[in-house]
Order: sequence, then C-alpha cells, then structure tokens
Amino acid sequence: MSPVLSVAELSELVAGWIGQGKFVAAPVQVGDRLMYQALATAGQAVFAPKRRPSNSIKEFFFPRHEPIFRYRLEGKEIALSDVIPEECEQIVIAAKPCDAAALPILDHVFNWDFEDGFYTARRARTTVVTLACAAHDDACFCTSVGAGPEDESGSDAMLFDLGDGKFEVRAITEKGRALFGGAASTEPRPSGSGLAAEKKFDAARVARYLEANFESPLWKELTLTCLGCGACAYTCPTCHCFDIVDEGNAAGGSRVKNWDSCQFPFFTLHASGHNPRAVQPQRQRQRLFHKFLIYPQKFNAVLCTGCGNCERNCPVGLGVLKVLEAIDGEQRRRDEKEPVQA
Amino acid sequence: MTERLRQSARRLLEEGKVQVVIGYGAAGRPALITRAEDAGKLEWNDRCLANLAVYLTRKDVKALGKAAIVVKGCDERALVVLEKESQIDRAALYVIGMACDGVDAPKCARCQVHLPRFADEVIGEAAQTATAAPGPNGLDRLMAKSSAERWAFWSGEFARCVKCYACRQVCPLCYCERCIADKNRPVVIDTSASPKGNFAWHITRAFHLAARCVGCGECTRACPAGIPLGLLNRSLAQATEEHFGYRPGMDPQAEPVFGAWSPSDKEDFIG
Repeated sequence: MSPVLSVAELSELVAGWIGQGKFVAAPVQVGDRLMYQALATAGQAVFAPKRRPSNSIKEFFFPRHEPIFRYRLEGKEIALSDVIPEECEQIVIAAKPCDAAALPILDHVFNWDFEDGFYTARRARTTVVTLACAAHDDACFCTSVGAGPEDESGSDAMLFDLGDGKFEVRAITEKGRALFGGAASTEPRPSGSGLAAEKKFDAARVARYLEANFESPLWKELTLTCLGCGACAYTCPTCHCFDIVDEGNAAGGSRVKNWDSCQFPFFTLHASGHNPRAVQPQRQRQRLFHKFLIYPQKFNAVLCTGCGNCERNCPVGLGVLKVLEAIDGEQRRRDEKEPVQA
Repeated sequence: MTERLRQSARRLLEEGKVQVVIGYGAAGRPALITRAEDAGKLEWNDRCLANLAVYLTRKDVKALGKAAIVVKGCDERALVVLEKESQIDRAALYVIGMACDGVDAPKCARCQVHLPRFADEVIGEAAQTATAAPGPNGLDRLMAKSSAERWAFWSGEFARCVKCYACRQVCPLCYCERCIADKNRPVVIDTSASPKGNFAWHITRAFHLAARCVGCGECTRACPAGIPLGLLNRSLAQATEEHFGYRPGMDPQAEPVFGAWSPSDKEDFIG
C-alpha cells in the first residue's frame, strides 16, 4: 500500500480494528454536534470533519466516571476488591492535534508524585491518530500557546487530508508505524499549510500579568457573567480535576473517581462552611492561574492547547480566550508605560 | 433598536435609578453594565440568546445594586414565575422589553410571545404577534413512540451527559441555594455521570421544574453534549396545561399549581 489512503481504505482499516475487538473512537455526528465517541461501526466515523468536536479525547484515558475499587460490608468486616482493568487495545482516529497535544500535558499530572495506574495503563494501550487541522474558527488559538495545526505532540500518526477523499498517512511513533504498517510514510512532511490561526495573545506576557495581579478589579469586570457550570472544564482536553466519592448502599459499593470542576462552588467548600473561593470571579481566576501560571511554573508548559472548546461550549460565550486577550492587552499597555528590563 | 436600548440604559444609570443593566454585549454575550459611559457596549441582535433572568437571583449580581434587565418575551415569563415564588421584587426591578421576531434559535419557531407584556418599557415593534399553531414538533414525535422506544432514546441521550450542570446553571428557575445534586450528607443523587446518576439527575430536575418551567430552552442550548433536555420539561408543561389549564409565566394573576390548592383539583390522574 502507498502512504495515501482513500476514505474507503481508512474505513476498511477501522472496520478491521473493530472486528478484532479493539476499542475505536472517532468524531461522530450526533444531532447537530460533532463528538468523539466509541464507534459501533466504521461508517459512523467522520474522518475529515469541517469543525472541532465539542468534547475532547481525554475521556478515553481519564473517564468521567471510574470505579477504583469495590467494597462489601460483611457484618463488621469490610471486604475490598480491585477493579479488574480492561486490557483491550484502544485507537483514537481523526482526533484534532489540539486534543492529542493535551496527552503529554496530562502525563505530567498523572505521573508526578503518584503514578495513576488507571490513566497510564490506558495511555499505554492507546494509539492516537490525528488529522492535521485544515481550518480554524474564531475560538481557535493553538498558535498562541505554542501549538499548531500540524503539531505532532501526543500523536502516534497523523493524517493529512489531500482532498478528493484521500489521506496521506505519516507515522510519528513506533505505535503509529505498527498500526498502519506499510501504509504510513515516515518522511518528514513540508510543513506550513498557512492555515494556522493568527496569534491572539502572548502567553509569557499573560503569565507576567498573573504573577503580579492576583488581586485586580479586572477579574470581576471580565468574568462576573460566568454562571459557574463545568461545560468549559469538562470539554477541555487538559482540565483534569476529579473528586473521589463512595457510591453504593448498605451492602457495599464502589469508591469512584469522577470529573470535577474548579468552577463549582462546592469544589472548595470547607467542612466548616467557609469557602475560600466565595464568588465566581475568584473561581475563574483560579482556572486561568492554574493553566497559565501554576502549571507552567511546575512543568514548563501551558495547561491549554488552544482548542477553543471552553468558549464554544460556554452558555454565555466566555471561555479563556476573551479574558486572556483582555489581560494581555492590559499588560501590553503597562509595558509600554514602563518597559520591561531586558 | 440598539440605539434606543443604549439611550435607555444610559439614562437609567445616569439618573441613579439602577446600578446595573443586565443586557447583551458584543456577539450577544451577556453583559453587566454598571457605568453610564459603558451603555454603548450594549447590543441587540439575533445572537442575544441567553435568558438573562438567571442573573437576578445570583448573589454576586444582586450585590451590584438595583437592576434593570433586558428581556425578550420568552425570557419575561421567567420574571413572572420568579415574582410568584418571591425571588424578585418586581417593583424594584426595571424591565426593558425587546420586541423580538426571533433570535437564532430553533425554539423561536414555536414562539407565542414576540412582544414583552409586563415590561416597564418595550423597545421596537414585532412584525409577528403570535406564531401560527406550530406543526408537529420534537415532543410530538417523541411522545408518538412507545415507552420502550422513549426509554431507549433517553438512555442514549443521557449516556452523553458529563454532569457539568450547565442545564442547571443557565436555568432562571434553578435558584436553589443548595441543589439536591450537591447534597452529600447523605448523597441523594449519585454524583457519577453513570446511567443511574444521570437518569436520577435529569428526572429529578424535570420534576422540580414541573409547572414552573417557562420553556425558555436554555437547558437545551447550554448542554455541551447536545441533549434535548427541554423536551422533558415541555412534556411536563403539556401535562400541567392539560390537567390544570396553567401555563407558567403567562398570566401574573394565575395561581401557580404548586402554590395553590382547590377542592376541585383533579385527583383521577394519580395512582
């Protein structure tokens, strides 16, 4: 096979993987939305979507709800049992580079002071095939956080849409090569399709503002309209907070790990009744601080891939971009008045 | 219309009649205008989708002072219910009604209230007065199915729910200080986005909004998973109308179904 595959050939490959009992996920049309979902049939996959799926691929590694062990109450004894891990191979295909780029970012978090076995096992048994991005919308800003439409970070192989239902396949890692065999080229590809979103803010300048402005009237001014749902965090490829709760009845149950969001008031509510983040602008500030100052200081990367899902999914059109543009502008004005010492 | 809206907001803020105008700004995003010189930031266009009534019960917004609010006819119904439920002091609120021939939302095809009816001022004129009897809609199509088919439909829809609570947060009538979904001593509804946790959440929410939901459709619009949540509420609204002749938010004089009792109340549908 040549390193160019038609939609029919791709579809055949996917059908083969599904037939072998592998878990395959891809963008799927759900009503008027495009969402990453597990495929029941190869025909459901949208290989060259015109827009970004409204969720992210993180849930194939870090599910929204996951039992970590089970318990049974037997008289006065409590019997614990492990959750038997799934071992099936996973393939995510036609993912956006801004989704895949979140994986190396998440790897740091789930392997930093403690190795999260559930996450790392899924990472190990998953191959991620991205589709180089050929379009962007107003909410996209990957180029402002150091990523790009052909960013290979987190991808095992990348598809390039050649038009006319043809895709060039390029293997990036050993896993990607193994998945496509001879059908993938390993030659570097001339980059720069010229379709990248323009740079909308300077992440370093934003970090400088954050460092000096934990208290600022701007937070309230820019984010008071936030209604405090978790649509941004839950569709974000990089947001990774979770809560651990016990769920069950008098006989037993499971200890489960569930997605959580710093935008919920209960995220920080103390047992005493005190809430250190009492109002929504403080919670919005936290989200931005974590993404653009705290995580970068710890892991030397921004906790954001510029996918724009936070804005597209926000019921009040907020997202991080509008706030970042505003604080970037504010810091630029300050720098002009008082130039930074080189 | 935008200019008249800005003038009105500017005047209200300048005269100190209100301290905040809850309106729509750039791209139809909600905007909280507190300075007269910022009144020019207000916009009116077909992207003004949000039901701003949700902000009236929020502590952070209440703290700004007396409010004026920009509403469409559909949004205004929420004000009627909020007043009935003693959540707002209508006399202390200035309502700027916008005549509306529909924004960029599917719900507008079923609109019965193009013109706000109880506003302190109404800006513009609506070309349409009431939409002609709407044809078969999503709810009719769903209700025509068997209960097993409907169960399968909702199982599929709820499977996408991530429990982000956008449906609750955008709802002008979900103003509980502590939602039942957040009760953890003991847990009432599993917080898990599991089939059990998701069914429990959406059914509980729908019942809590029965005879209260004004059908603004914000839950459907806000859902990042595209779940047509408004169908649940509309089915209960249909039952409320059928059994009690009550449509929430339509008539300020009508007694709310759960707020009034009469010996003639039907009981034959129970059991």
